[in-house]
Amino acid sequence: MIEPGAIGKGILVLAIEVALYLLLVVFMLANATLSIAAFLLGFIVLGILFTKWKKANQQLTTLFKEMRGLAVAGFVVLLLTLPFAFSKSPYLIHICVMAGLYAILALGLNFQLGSTNVVNFATAASYGIGAYTSALLAVHFHVSFWLGLVISGCVASLFGLILGIPCMKTKDYYLSLVTIAFGLIVYVLLINFSWTGGPNGVPNIPPPSLLGHSFREPIRLLGFVLPGQSNFFYLTVALVAGALLVAHRLHQSRVGLTWNAIREDEIAARCQGIDVTWYKILAFCIDAFFGGVTGTVYAHYIGFISPENFAFIVSVVVVTMVILGGMDNVFGVIIGAVLLTVLPEKFRAFEDFRLLMYGIVVVAMLMFRPQGLFPQKLRAYRISIPR
Amino acid sequence: MMARLLETKALTIRFGGLAAVNNVDFWVDRGEAVGLIGPNGSGKTTFFNLLTGIYKPTAGEIHYLGENVVGLPAFRIAQKGIARTFQNNRLFLNLSVLDNVLVGMHSQQHSTWFDAIFRRQAVTREFHVGVEKCLGLLGLFSQELANDCYKRAADLPQADRRKVEICRALASDPKLLLLDEPSAGMSPEETDELMKDIRRVRDRMREIGIILIEHDMMVIREVAQRVVVLNYGRKIAEGTFREISTNEEVLEAYLGREEASAAA
Repeated sequence: MIEPGAIGKGILVLAIEVALYLLLVVFMLANATLSIAAFLLGFIVLGILFTKWKKANQQLTTLFKEMRGLAVAGFVVLLLTLPFAFSKSPYLIHICVMAGLYAILALGLNFQLGSTNVVNFATAASYGIGAYTSALLAVHFHVSFWLGLVISGCVASLFGLILGIPCMKTKDYYLSLVTIAFGLIVYVLLINFSWTGGPNGVPNIPPPSLLGHSFREPIRLLGFVLPGQSNFFYLTVALVAGALLVAHRLHQSRVGLTWNAIREDEIAARCQGIDVTWYKILAFCIDAFFGGVTGTVYAHYIGFISPENFAFIVSVVVVTMVILGGMDNVFGVIIGAVLLTVLPEKFRAFEDFRLLMYGIVVVAMLMFRPQGLFPQKLRAYRISIPR
Repeated sequence: MMARLLETKALTIRFGGLAAVNNVDFWVDRGEAVGLIGPNGSGKTTFFNLLTGIYKPTAGEIHYLGENVVGLPAFRIAQKGIARTFQNNRLFLNLSVLDNVLVGMHSQQHSTWFDAIFRRQAVTREFHVGVEKCLGLLGLFSQELANDCYKRAADLPQADRRKVEICRALASDPKLLLLDEPSAGMSPEETDELMKDIRRVRDRMREIGIILIEHDMMVIREVAQRVVVLNYGRKIAEGTFREISTNEEVLEAYLGREEASAAA
């Protein structure tokens, strides 16, 4: 049943979404550093206005909650039309693909860093293990991308388990040190093994194909020609959606609650009968699976991988994304990943200061908003309170 | 004869040269409330940490329902039905009141990560049962808490936090409940309320054994059927409240030798 005024509200929701979408597209298309900076300033002012202006904030929140289905549908449709908007500039689609891949990595790390407070700096390791597994399988044994996706996820999980076990002997900073060491070991091994191609990496990784359509071919649709990157754009969107679903379900389950309990107070958690070791290792394995899957997509997308792609700095970037986006808030984490992928690309002119920016972001967030841009929400259960 | 609910034999733990708990024989039966008292630093909380598996004893045995549980990890002991509260109140501060109590049900719930991803119905059903039980428990202690169950635990006043912690411990349907100074930092009115709460627990779960560490002798007198006194890690007295309140050695431990004789 349609309530009176529902149509008006629906139009309002869609109008807001379209306006934001257009702003975003123009921002992405802008080239001069000055105009990019102006846009960015605009976004920040908008964001601050939104958080400070309580009344508008509340009204908008309730509006979008009421029209949730429509808002999500509108968002999905707009997202899927992005390659059309960028059909003339494949580079922008490439940025979107990378943002999606980082979003999956960040969602994976969030199980540890956000939910359980296990500061893992080995994301690049599982990312690399996944990429090399499927790349080597594809190049030497002609294993298809789709099978490789699952295999490399599982292999990475196995390595996550192998990393998790020694980590359980340690705590806090020492645990982080073990993960850093693991990341470095994987990196050095990739350089030194001859069967991984050493420093030259693995070239000529075949692109995936679906129903006879190779992902390197452009998409021809309704008279539009979308560059080859759009194949990977749609693949990544699908994977992010899958990862989001899995992450959301885990967070809203007994497992997610248990992880949070461990984060809050490990000793108290143990006294509730929680097997802390097992739950932490579980977080390691799931994180590594996400990393492995992402690595596979990356390898087959770029077609060439080398150890440099999986250096320590990648792990640091992913940690920064989770801290910026919001600990244990799946949507926040995705936004953090997108921001930290898109902004450095738009500010190519300041390429040399990229690392400095990550540093500033981490320090600023930890000082002024340690829970991230979008903090974790309390769980709500659909049950009435008996009175 | 049925085995005791919990019994320790010559339980000892040494930290370096210090025997924090020294040769303690102790027991508690089903449906019994035992008070554990002693001056600061006499080893009461350490004793709790030994019972719950957080520390491993240097020597001695802990028999729980006839089974030696020494060396079991803390979470296994908790799963067997020993629940506790902490002296300094260890709630999961960034979680809601309801979630805190739900975590207490951990060992009674069984859904795994696989269920979480692929079998939503099982998870929802489990949560439904859990939430209902937790709200019932909270309501037993205070209807206000049950109504405010979505408040962050960090936003609660001290007295309410203790209630939530007791609820969390009870959510696992424990056979033995360890309360570590539940009245610490409470006003006399709040302490009265607390004693009522403990009585309520015993009325509801008649089989439950309780060990209570307390400095407030009012609470001990009202709640405990038997009192055990520790000093420097040793058990120095045991008996009813009346018996130990006239025990020379106990008075000495609390007041010192001269004051004790001056008072006499």
